[in-house]
Amino acid sequence: MPLLADLLAQALNGLAYGVLLFLLSVGLTLIFGMLDVINLAHGSFYMLGAYAGLTLIAATGSFWLAFALAPLVVGLIGVLVERALLRPLYRRPPLDQVLLTFGLIYLFEDLVKWLWGGRIRSIAAPALFAGSVRLGHVTVPSYRLFVIGFGLVMAVLLWALIERTHLGALIRAGVFDAEMAAGLGIDVGRVFTGVFALGAALGGLSGVVAGPIQSAYPSMGVSILIPALIVVVVGGLGSLKGSLVGSLLIGQAETFGKAWLPGVSMLMIYLVMALTVLLRPRGLFGQPLK
Amino acid sequence: MDQGLSRRTFLMTASSALGAVGAARLGGLAATGLATGPWVRRASAQSAPLKIGLVLPYSGVYAELGNSITQAMELVFARENWTVAGRRIEMVKEDDEMKPPVGIRKTEKLIDSDKVDILTGPVHSGILLGMRDKVHNSRTILIVSNAGADAISRERCSKWIFRTSFSNWQPCQPMGGWVAKNVSKEVFQIAPNYQAGKDMMESFRETFHPVGGQIIGEDYPKLGETDYAPYLTKIRQSGAKAVFCFFSGTDAVNFVKQFDEFGLKQTVKLTGAGFLVEPDVLPAQGKAALGVISGHFYTPLLDNATNQKFVKAFREKFGGKMPDGFACQGYDTAEVIVRAVKAVNGNTQDKDKLVEALAATEFDSPRGRFRFDPKTHNVIQPYIYIREVREVGGTLNNVPIDKVADVRDPGTGCTLPA
Amino acid sequence: MRTRGWPVLIAPVALTAGILAFPAAFGTYPVKLLQEILIWGIFAMSLDLLMGHAGLVSFGHSAFFGAGGYVAALTLTRFPGVLSALVLPALAAGVVAWLIGILAIRVSGVYFIMLTLAFSQMFHAYAFQVAWLGAEDGLVGIPRAALLGLDTSRPWAFHAYVVTVAAAAALFLWRVTRSPFGHVLRGLHENEGRMEAIGYAVRRYKLLAFVLAGTLAGVAGALYAQFSGSITPDAFFWTTSGEALLMVVIGGVGTLGGAVLGAAVFILLQSLVSTYTERWMLILGVTFVLLVLVAPGGIVGMIRARVGRRG
Repeated sequence: MPLLADLLAQALNGLAYGVLLFLLSVGLTLIFGMLDVINLAHGSFYMLGAYAGLTLIAATGSFWLAFALAPLVVGLIGVLVERALLRPLYRRPPLDQVLLTFGLIYLFEDLVKWLWGGRIRSIAAPALFAGSVRLGHVTVPSYRLFVIGFGLVMAVLLWALIERTHLGALIRAGVFDAEMAAGLGIDVGRVFTGVFALGAALGGLSGVVAGPIQSAYPSMGVSILIPALIVVVVGGLGSLKGSLVGSLLIGQAETFGKAWLPGVSMLMIYLVMALTVLLRPRGLFGQPLK
Repeated sequence: MDQGLSRRTFLMTASSALGAVGAARLGGLAATGLATGPWVRRASAQSAPLKIGLVLPYSGVYAELGNSITQAMELVFARENWTVAGRRIEMVKEDDEMKPPVGIRKTEKLIDSDKVDILTGPVHSGILLGMRDKVHNSRTILIVSNAGADAISRERCSKWIFRTSFSNWQPCQPMGGWVAKNVSKEVFQIAPNYQAGKDMMESFRETFHPVGGQIIGEDYPKLGETDYAPYLTKIRQSGAKAVFCFFSGTDAVNFVKQFDEFGLKQTVKLTGAGFLVEPDVLPAQGKAALGVISGHFYTPLLDNATNQKFVKAFREKFGGKMPDGFACQGYDTAEVIVRAVKAVNGNTQDKDKLVEALAATEFDSPRGRFRFDPKTHNVIQPYIYIREVREVGGTLNNVPIDKVADVRDPGTGCTLPA
Repeated sequence: MRTRGWPVLIAPVALTAGILAFPAAFGTYPVKLLQEILIWGIFAMSLDLLMGHAGLVSFGHSAFFGAGGYVAALTLTRFPGVLSALVLPALAAGVVAWLIGILAIRVSGVYFIMLTLAFSQMFHAYAFQVAWLGAEDGLVGIPRAALLGLDTSRPWAFHAYVVTVAAAAALFLWRVTRSPFGHVLRGLHENEGRMEAIGYAVRRYKLLAFVLAGTLAGVAGALYAQFSGSITPDAFFWTTSGEALLMVVIGGVGTLGGAVLGAAVFILLQSLVSTYTERWMLILGVTFVLLVLVAPGGIVGMIRARVGRRG
């Protein structure tokens, strides 16, 4: 089979995975940029999104309805978490918040096991995108093409939100300097909650999008967290552009790594993460460190 | 200041003494809560309950298997009215969470604290290999009801360890020749990157190569991989006409679904070790599993009399649930225990006699005629069935389409009694 | 500041004696739980040196635990003896800590967390893949060797061995935290800038703390390998560091004894509670979250608040 087709096929695989990573990591990076919190429970939002999707599909019979509602459910959970658990910790060292979100990982994983059982649960792809498509020599599952398209659209929408709307301006102000923003009269508390909820909802969205590919199982949050953290570090904490570029890069790296250099690929990715922290901590597109 | 110091010192001493007492109390509670104490053992062995220990996963993805095995054992014991040779049968279940450290800890609890007469389990080969020395050195009789690590029937065999399930070699080795003859001589192999996976691929090659089979490609994704896309693309590009694989649990669901998603089923035949499409994963795989060929010693559709009785009884007792290979393993484990203990009149103190009785056990199992190989204490599979996933009466099932008789593990490096 | 003399020793000596005598009163299973608590206690205490005293929150502590464990596994099967059981693993872990340390101490806060995480994951990725370390299955069949005349394959001897090492580690850490070095570390934790201005070679102190903590973590890993007879790549995984973190926080950051207490809480929850309910992880998560919110000083902090603050 021609090498070009081989490359294209794997590149498409990498793109689909990269887009999934983007949807997950963009929430993580926004939360960090805004609240200075590394939300280790972000993988849990991913997992909750997939399970919410599962239940909503069972309840409504419609993938698309579940697709739209699941992120909202997770966003609400995000609001609860931020107000009840994180807000009391804002005056404390940021590391306390990191620790709290770490505890949440255990909490959420067991909650999911309790409510849905430990078995892996399948999520069917929507009928519209079942099956696969031939593009020349390359066959791609239609659903993955949808994921790529959807992800890129979301990237544009998010960019527009952050760069072109009033809310986006608030967010950017908060990311840049929260104290200053508060000084200017912005209700920073509300913006914090909003950003956290948005981040959580995006995490949940990526979970429900990933569902038909990876199915739902309780430890799915823990597995995806590390790649998401790598993306955020390499791309730049707090940067949407960084999150997009980073996840597309990591997506390709992991995919080609699995196909061509199985032993070495993960090691290399961690190496890239370490080098980034050491040599250019702000990542590709992050703010220069204060 | 002085007063504060001595108060603090006193409090520290008191609190750590209390702490030690408290820990002792807690330990005591733990000890009584968990163990029935050594004095029970000293009662007449003939009337003391027969304690069967189970080290199985009862939580997590593999709880399905743990439950299947346990339920089938309960079926057999219930049939015997929970008594054998005048002794009441008591099952002590411990959740190993599929984690070697936990599994080994629970094993030690069952052997040292609960003082079980016979130990059974585990599902995870890592746990089995980790517990092997403890079992062997303590002369505890272990009946392996799932874990397939070949080593237990080879260089790490032990006279105290019997296996009623399978060795990883058994379902795979006959598949090699069969696939070469009936599917294709150009096969791509893929399995998770751990010993069991590699062993299975190797045993397939044993009968595949001699009849002219060619391995077009090999891949070992990590255990717990969720996105097989890069591997599936490689499979397509290799031009292989068939795939032979081993996946179980979550991996099996994801691989089979994604295999179908990529449209590979149209050009490549998917075959594998039986666990790929067992009832624990078939519902989640759905139609994606149709047509998949697998090798296993059991399918609920087997038409021998014992199996038909077994399936009927199992479904009646457990709300219509279909038994699977794991249930068959549990059934056979319990049967072996019942028969051997009867043969020694309930005297489990004389372990050498009990081992002899176990080794000699033979009976009709749902899988066929059950015997242990005296050379390895591993079960001799009466048949390895080649099965195809088809829709039978509205549900997906593994339909036997062929079989290979009398499959026994080579037992290389095992010298019993050890 | 003069230490307060021998009355202070009564409590820990009594405790140690009690722990040593434990097997006389209790069966094998509770004894095993106790040993596991001690071993994880060492691991958690070493992390507490970093977190509670030097203020370095590391998510990569498992790198040293795993290094100690794997080195013990590899050497004990070939050369049983105290060198393989304790010395080589400690050295190996120390070297790894030094190598990672010289890089990690250049960054702080969130970046320190990310970097240490990345390094331990690198170890995991390597151990997970390569055949000579047993890949996903890890290494099994690790023997309990005769050490300096003590045959640790005998249960009581092994118990004495574990207790001795744990006590030694605890004593060592206690002395370190009370030493001038310990004071400097706490000073660094509170205000690094000020310490640097006074003239302390901040980096050197951090590195030394890192290496000490790493070495002890390696000892814990080696003990663990001998305790369970096997070691898997999980030892390197970030969740192992996370569990130690949980233990430290539950017990009380900066209290050393709290770390062992936290280890006890975690292990007892995992082993005992899991016999009665499957939901032990939920209980753990809720406990932890509540502690962080309401009682950041952990259990020891709560006790201290009752008894009166330290002068």
